[in-house]
Amino acid sequence: MTGLKLAGVTKSFGAVDVIKGIDLKVEHGEFCVFVGPSGCGKSTLLRIIAGLEDVTDGTIEIGGRDVTWAEPSERGIAMVFQSYALYPHMTVRDNIGFGLSLARMPKAQIAAKVGAAAELLQLTPLLDRKPRALSGGQRQRVAIGRAIVRDPAVFLFDEPLSNLDAALRAQMRLELTDLHRKIGATMVYVTHDQVEAMTMADKIVVMNAGRIEQVGTPMELYDRPATVFVAGFIGSPRMNLIDGPAAAAMGAATYGIRPEHLSLSDDGGRWRARVRHIERLGADCIVYLDVDGPGAMMARVGGADPITIGQEVGVTPDPARECRFDAQGQAVR
Amino acid sequence: MNRKTARRARIKGGLTLALFFFVFVVPFVFIALQAVKNRQESSLLNFAWPSEWVFWQNFITVISARDYMLLLAYFNSIVITVGSVTLLVIFSAMVGYVLQRRKSRLNGFVMALVLAGLMIPPAVVPTIWVLQGIGLFKTIHGMILIQVAYGLSFSILLYRAFIATIPRDLDEAARIDGAKPWQIFFRVVLPLLKPVTVTNIVVQSIGIFNDFTNPLYYLPGRRNVTVQLTVFNFQSQFSTQYNLMFMNILLVTIPPLIVFIFFNRQIVAGMTAGAIKG
Repeated sequence: MTGLKLAGVTKSFGAVDVIKGIDLKVEHGEFCVFVGPSGCGKSTLLRIIAGLEDVTDGTIEIGGRDVTWAEPSERGIAMVFQSYALYPHMTVRDNIGFGLSLARMPKAQIAAKVGAAAELLQLTPLLDRKPRALSGGQRQRVAIGRAIVRDPAVFLFDEPLSNLDAALRAQMRLELTDLHRKIGATMVYVTHDQVEAMTMADKIVVMNAGRIEQVGTPMELYDRPATVFVAGFIGSPRMNLIDGPAAAAMGAATYGIRPEHLSLSDDGGRWRARVRHIERLGADCIVYLDVDGPGAMMARVGGADPITIGQEVGVTPDPARECRFDAQGQAVR
Repeated sequence: MNRKTARRARIKGGLTLALFFFVFVVPFVFIALQAVKNRQESSLLNFAWPSEWVFWQNFITVISARDYMLLLAYFNSIVITVGSVTLLVIFSAMVGYVLQRRKSRLNGFVMALVLAGLMIPPAVVPTIWVLQGIGLFKTIHGMILIQVAYGLSFSILLYRAFIATIPRDLDEAARIDGAKPWQIFFRVVLPLLKPVTVTNIVVQSIGIFNDFTNPLYYLPGRRNVTVQLTVFNFQSQFSTQYNLMFMNILLVTIPPLIVFIFFNRQIVAGMTAGAIKG
């Protein structure tokens, strides 16, 4: 069964087209991440799926049912907001059970469902607290609890980790992927952080300027980017992208090679280069090079490599990992 | 230099306190003094200490005057105040919410109407004509509606500014949870408006309870008397019983004064809460 299907979804605010015809299928139980730079339309698309914004054109199906014009509460979705959006005047228990009480579910049943969600998210000791007495991570879990009790067909997450510090973010990434494995629900997750996308997704949807650039598994996107934009966006540090005569000499309008697919040597190499700067990260280091021909490039080498600034080196790309793009920015296979 | 600045600050503070003491406390002391004097002494209208204290006697006379009119006036004023403040809070919070949240072409027009309500003074005679036309003249509920109409603009502006500080995500989360618009308002938004609601209740109830002119115009009739109008009981063309009049003033001033003393912190908090957008 399909979890979510978008067909020709467009959205315009006045004369401005924000979403320009999106076709997408997310399978049941899949963890799908929308990733892209700020303003690319990913949050708007999520709000359209949630029903918080109307589509200008196109259809949305959730669990095989057309919900294009259905109310948010009737779509079978639950959403976790960037700001958590917890009701400040209600306890954790009331926050989680609010939707159920609106649906006039019997009190005993609400208590049981809230209890089960709290158990799953380790919130049981916090049930009688107000949101202001919780830490960022706990608030996040309450927001997830509020989503879980609705038994939605699709979970929607709008940059849920962006308000957390780096350590907590890593922990919550792990907790969310664990949760996905436990409950096996379809999840759509919006982020601008490509590390989150790479580490959590079954499927990544890279968006740019209201369009989908590429859909695929994290490693497909990493190894075979379909466009220059995806090549530059996925991977940290970003792929070396070279254009102009140096790229033309290698048979492409734009030539791309990831820093980890360059090897440095004292002699020989495809290009000669000078080391401009070195970032030592411990396990490895990022070497900034001025390469004769292509210009500035980055290479990732082992942390213990004895390289010094100003040193002259040979640079050789791994031929199997080179990417070539045509003048339209599309990959040449 | 520092000591000099501190001294100057102390002098400034002292002068300010003296000024406010003169403006606010001296009149109150004057009222209290006249209220406990006998008729002859109070007619001199001075700050002299009373030769005999007739507080209790004046109190009973004022309460029982004209068949316990002050008690009836208290009842009427409380009904008008509670009724109009309740409606004011509910209506202005609703209007403020819709004005702040739902952007439409009508917003500018509605805001112009709201501001007109603050800027344009009400016309008494046409209002009475309208009230007579719809059968609300000389009625308590007519008076309540007048107070709501006169206070609505101010309350809407207070609520609108405060609602801007409540994240829209909360409305959307409630919508996803299945709340209807009225449920979003009453169960999510209104409870969060508590600080500004307290401000509204205090400011409006003091204003309405203390209102003298509007009940005078729109609520004539002996059975319709409100507390501020009872001051007339002891004033006539040829003689005025100042001791009883000031006792009456003292009695009708005390309730709003108590409310103000207890809630003044909240009034300031609610007034400034919407000023800086979070």
